[in-house]
Formats: sequence, C-alpha cells, structure tokens
Amino acid sequence: MAIFMGNQVAVVVGTTNTISTFVQSVSLNRELDVVDITAMTDTVANAISGVERSNVTLELFNDFAASSVNALFENALGTKLNIKLIPVSGTVSATNPSYSMSCLISNWTPINGTIDGVATASVTYPVTAITKATS
Amino acid sequence: MIPSDVRAGLQTRLQTITSLRVLDTVPDSVNIPTQGAVAVVGMLDLNFDFAMNRGSDQATCSILVIVGRMNEATAQDRLDGYLASSGASSIKAAIEADKTLGGAISTLRVTQATSGMITIANIDYISYRYEVTLIG
Repeated sequence: MAIFMGNQVAVVVGTTNTISTFVQSVSLNRELDVVDITAMTDTVANAISGVERSNVTLELFNDFAASSVNALFENALGTKLNIKLIPVSGTVSATNPSYSMSCLISNWTPINGTIDGVATASVTYPVTAITKATS
Repeated sequence: MIPSDVRAGLQTRLQTITSLRVLDTVPDSVNIPTQGAVAVVGMLDLNFDFAMNRGSDQATCSILVIVGRMNEATAQDRLDGYLASSGASSIKAAIEADKTLGGAISTLRVTQATSGMITIANIDYISYRYEVTLIG
C-alpha cells in the first residue's frame, strides 16, 4: 500500500444509499477511554484502556430530494443508522478495508445557510459495533 | 461539469436579455447594439474535487459586458439596468433564473460585478466583469 488521496472515500448509509457525492469530508475517530491505574508505589503514571468511544464526523452538502441526504438523516433522528466507509471507493481488500458501524443519529442540521456558500451540515455521531472487513 | 455545456448554458441565459448581444470571444472590433451591450462568456477556472469521489467540481467564469464608448453619455445609464439585482435587464437575475443551466451543473451564483475598461480596435469601452461561481 502506498500513500493515497483521501478524496475517494465511499460513504454508504444503510445498505445501498451511497452519499459520497454529497460528502465534503469524513473522518472516523477510534478512541478508547484511558483508565488510570497508577498505584501508590508507582513512580510513573500507569493506565489501561477502557471502553471504546469512537465517533464519525461528516461534512455534508444537504439535499432535500426524496431519499437523499436530508431525508436519510432527519428521518433517522434519535435512532441508529448503519454507515459503511471505504477509504477508496471500489473493491474492499486488505489494503482497502471497509469500516461498518452503527451510528446514533443524535443531531441533524437541516438548515445551515450562508450568503456565499452552499447548504451544508456538519455532524458528529457516536459509533458502536465497528467492524473492519478486508473482503 | 462539462465546460462547453456550462458556457453554452450561460450564453442561453444571457440571451434572455433583449438588446444584449452574446459572443464567444472578445471581437477584433465591436458593434454594440443601439441601447444595448455586448456580453462575452469567458473561460472557466476549475477547482476539482469539491465533493468526495469526483462528485462535483467548482468553477468560476468571467462574463465581460461591454456597454459603450467611454465618452458615450448614455453608456453608464444603460449599464445601470444590467447591474441591477432584479428586472428584465438584470444580468444577475437572468443567469440565476436557471441555477442548473438546464441540468449542466448543480447550482451557481453570480458573485461579483467589477467596473473596468476594455480597449478594442484602439477604442476604449466601458465594461463590467461579472464573476459566476458554479458547482457541478
């Protein structure tokens, strides 16, 4: 695997709704709680990993067409949506793994306008059940 | 976004303004319609990868509007109609009346109009340069 551009990420909502062309940026941040276990006799701080608190951040161009971006996220508000990310759109492989996850749609921004820009929505969702696949 | 479709679409929109003659290139000599003006749709400057996975690009296009000779008393008056933000002669309104240019792009916005002067065949003309931002 070599260095690759990050402008071809496939973003699939549910099972078939590929919204890549409405995505300006996407990031999946995998993070674990850090549990301090430093004891009295330790001379340096010690820690173990706790539960995972990952999240996915999307910068989206909004679209009110049926089954498009706004409908997908606004209709799912308060529930969980499956989202799959592939670094480079196309065949999933060991060097191009997919990440599937369940995202709690905890917020949505249907209206976000400026005088000089397109309508966008910037959202961050907590993630559970992350699965990395290589085929 | 296909540049030729975008340029053709912009020309189509400009042609909805009566008395505005629309050209592909800056002419060697210009024949401005009586009580009118000449518009030249320029080339596109492209910024690729506006959205993920080649979803869309962003472009800017300049439109040069040549109104009349610098010493022509009524040229500035005619220009006011083209510069207005609305009305039958408004260039911004005419272009933004079809923001997809017949489906050639996703959206557009006329962002700016800047005054200037252009010399054609050794004659100085009042002109305005419009900037259009396009996404598609």
